[in-house]
Amino acid sequence: MKKIFTKLVVTGGLIALSATAALAHSPLCSCFDNGDGTVLCEGGFSDGSSASGVKMYVRDDSGAVVLKGAMNENSEFEFNKPAGHYTVTFDAGEGHSIEIDGSDIVE
Amino acid sequence: MKMKVVFLNLLLAVAMAVPASAHFQMVYTPEIAKNKGGETEVKLVFTHPYEAGHTMGMGMPEEFFMLHQKGEEGKTKKYDLKKLLKPITWTSLTNSGEAYEATLPKKICRSMGDYTLVLVPAPYYEGEEDIYIQQITKTYMNVGGLPGNWSAPAGLKTEWLPLVKPYAMWTGMTFKAQLLSGGKPVANADVEVEYMNHEPDMKKNAFKKEAKSEAPQDAFVTMGVKTDAQGYVTFTVPKAGWWGFCALGSGPDKEFKGKELSQDAVIWIKAVDM
Repeated sequence: MKKIFTKLVVTGGLIALSATAALAHSPLCSCFDNGDGTVLCEGGFSDGSSASGVKMYVRDDSGAVVLKGAMNENSEFEFNKPAGHYTVTFDAGEGHSIEIDGSDIVE
Repeated sequence: MKMKVVFLNLLLAVAMAVPASAHFQMVYTPEIAKNKGGETEVKLVFTHPYEAGHTMGMGMPEEFFMLHQKGEEGKTKKYDLKKLLKPITWTSLTNSGEAYEATLPKKICRSMGDYTLVLVPAPYYEGEEDIYIQQITKTYMNVGGLPGNWSAPAGLKTEWLPLVKPYAMWTGMTFKAQLLSGGKPVANADVEVEYMNHEPDMKKNAFKKEAKSEAPQDAFVTMGVKTDAQGYVTFTVPKAGWWGFCALGSGPDKEFKGKELSQDAVIWIKAVDM
């Protein structure tokens, strides 16, 4: 019984620890217009960890997804700039998502 | 006759007591924690920052480069900045001296991550002491809050290795760094600390006349700390602005052109109020 209790406490402690680690870092994403019809977005986390594989969405004015992809091994995502107003979403899961308005993406 | 000797000795003692401020090589750019990257102006000035005092004429630096890293797992990119240097005249409150400036283009400063500006100046001949001084200096910048290589050594002959992000200091935080010479810690080294008491004016290439603080006594102009047995210093930053740390003679090179060389390690940090 004592053993089971110890196991439970240890497991509980581990869950608490991993939960803290997940909350402690915040997502970071920045995009700039390359000036040649393409846009480059960079991402990462505040603890310095990579954003490789993080889902990226580009939406038009109506909110429809016009492009989707993922951050590459260098934590970058490059795409052709859509015509008209657009937004970019860096989606690293619940509470870890960033939306950037296309009008804020400049050269 | 005896009275004359006593008077002269007294004069000498007074003269010796006056020069309290220390030499500091500055690598200065106004903003080091940027939300967005972009073109960056940098000034290289060899001066006495607390008092905005005598500015020494710098020769063309031996090296001036930048290390950029995006994320802790990212690759470090090195950019040679020496070719961007242009001579300027920097005006202190007491004189003018030769200094340098550079405009770092947007294409190398727009990405997120850490940027370390590294200056290896040419040794400066200090006539009064008949020695050469070479202050190897680091200043950090960050774009977008994404960390990179701020805690990694730059492989310099002597340098400070920060244990606290040098570009993310609130006023009142404690800065900690380790002093290295040839990559190894330097125990019990003398370290001078100065506050940049007069804001640099980037357009006029001069220090502003207004002082931000007043030192009650000379020991507060250049503060003294020592590294511990593992080469660490800790320093709690009492006021917003720039703070410079200079380890005297910590480098492995002890001689230049047949004269004594003080090869020092300098690091700059910037604190902001909450």
